Amino acid sequence: MNNKYKILLVEDEHNISTLIMTMLESSGYQVIQAGTCALAKTLFVSHCPDLVLLDLGLPDMDGMTFLEDVRKDSLTPIIVLSARTNEKDKVLALDAGANDYVTKPFGAAELLARIRSTLRNYSHSAESGKLPGGKFMVQDLEILYDARQVFVKGKEIKLTQTEYNIVALLSEHCGKMMTYSAIIKDVWGYPDEGSVKKLQVNMANIRKKFGVKPGEATYITNELGVGYRMNSD
Amino acid sequence: MKKKRHHIWKNIMIMAVVFLVASGSSIILQKTGVHEHITAIFIFAVFLTSILTDGYIYGIVSALVGTLAVNYAYTYPFYALDFRFQSNMISAVVMMAIAVLTGMLTTQVKTHEAIKVESEKERMRANLLRAVSHDIRTPLTTIYGASTTLLESGENYTKEQRIKILKGIQEDSDWLMRMVENLLSITRIDEGKIKIIKTPTVLDELIDSVMVKFHKRYPQQEVYLDLPEDIIIIPMDAILIEQVIFNLLENAVLHADGMTELILKVFVLGKQVVFEVSDNGCGIEKERLNGIFNGSYHLFEGRTASSDSKKHNSGIGLSVCQTIVKAHDGAITAENNPVGGAVFRFSLNIEEMKESE
Repeated sequence: MNNKYKILLVEDEHNISTLIMTMLESSGYQVIQAGTCALAKTLFVSHCPDLVLLDLGLPDMDGMTFLEDVRKDSLTPIIVLSARTNEKDKVLALDAGANDYVTKPFGAAELLARIRSTLRNYSHSAESGKLPGGKFMVQDLEILYDARQVFVKGKEIKLTQTEYNIVALLSEHCGKMMTYSAIIKDVWGYPDEGSVKKLQVNMANIRKKFGVKPGEATYITNELGVGYRMNSD
Repeated sequence: MKKKRHHIWKNIMIMAVVFLVASGSSIILQKTGVHEHITAIFIFAVFLTSILTDGYIYGIVSALVGTLAVNYAYTYPFYALDFRFQSNMISAVVMMAIAVLTGMLTTQVKTHEAIKVESEKERMRANLLRAVSHDIRTPLTTIYGASTTLLESGENYTKEQRIKILKGIQEDSDWLMRMVENLLSITRIDEGKIKIIKTPTVLDELIDSVMVKFHKRYPQQEVYLDLPEDIIIIPMDAILIEQVIFNLLENAVLHADGMTELILKVFVLGKQVVFEVSDNGCGIEKERLNGIFNGSYHLFEGRTASSDSKKHNSGIGLSVCQTIVKAHDGAITAENNPVGGAVFRFSLNIEEMKESE
């Protein structure tokens, strides 16, 4: 019985896909590869992979079509491979249901870390959901969901309602990049004109209260124009 | 479409104003009893209109109106059209000739200027392309050579040697990556000459994002941050401004020899935010200071054939900075600190400038 995680790699560039396959296989994953959207769809149905690595620029169709197609009836985690300058594409992909993205060009360590954290995150939420009443702990950040308390290095941090809601939401999706609109929808309900600004101001206050200096990205990573991610390690 | 109509109105306005002034001064002259110079005033008016408006039409129209006005109102017989007098015919012909000739001349000058601007741009582009191709060749040689070596005779090398060769590949592809980022930044601005899209960006997050990238690239280099306490929101293309700050910091690391302190300071000055990158290194040579943002620094250095390929990045890096800051309607300067070291400074507007259109 083979109990390796199975990863579907959708990438048309031969050199890149060979490289990624080598990287993944040597780290103990089983990899199936597709160079077109059409093939990817067939392989997805027949192999039921545990995770999909999706390059958005494919020869036959936009990778977004595949993403939307899969998301219609499946929660299988999808990590998108994208270029740096396309923040819009990143946001579109995340809002269409991608779990995360890795910016090209990337190193092996980064890709593998992203895959690990996505898989962990996925199995986590599938088994135990949002862990009500539970405790969250990463590095020296601690959250007690029932008491709505947040501690940094053992010291309690006084957060406003909104600030707490944002931190709690990010922690529940720890490791996943959350777009501005996803956070706004969850925290405020429906977005209005100034809501991204409101979110950014709240985040600035949270960072200040956590005592994080710019460039440290200790607990929360910010991606300009895209969103925020609570770091999982 | 809207713009064209705007232009027509502008031209008509110019024509009307010139003629009003001409008629006004003519009436005054007439009142004082001087008639001889009125034709000259209108000829001058026709000339002015031809220069100030676009194309021939307005000049010719003003010549016609001028002829009629002079004929009707200001020459004998007053307040009646009369083409029997030879002098009236002559002034009509002269005005027409002036209108057509001036129109031709100004149109020529204008097209000439447009061509000059275009060729200047073309020259910059060619310079950049030449510089880039030259710079790209060096790391490509390393990468190609190193990988072929490993593939063909990798077993002849010790593990340490192989790691050394591989590290070379990694370093040079890293350099290429950043070069491509810079080039992409420029195309992002040049593409179809569309104005860049500014989104409100929180200063804190911008600096955070830059510093994460910078620490990843230069883990040894410490940067002292001096940021305002308040939350400041600036409209910008964050990816591009991030590139500017990164390039300025990197420039200091690569060129400020003997630097022990690198400072990134941001402060608000009126309606502008000023970003300042200063070091206490060797400073910038005077003759380089002038052209430091146009890539001439770079070409200069290329000719003195410094063997260190990484240093070549500066020319394009700094000219990219200038292109980006200019596209944001901001200003960028470089100077030497009297205490020692170099200071690079650029400023952005806090409030979005309202366009008149």
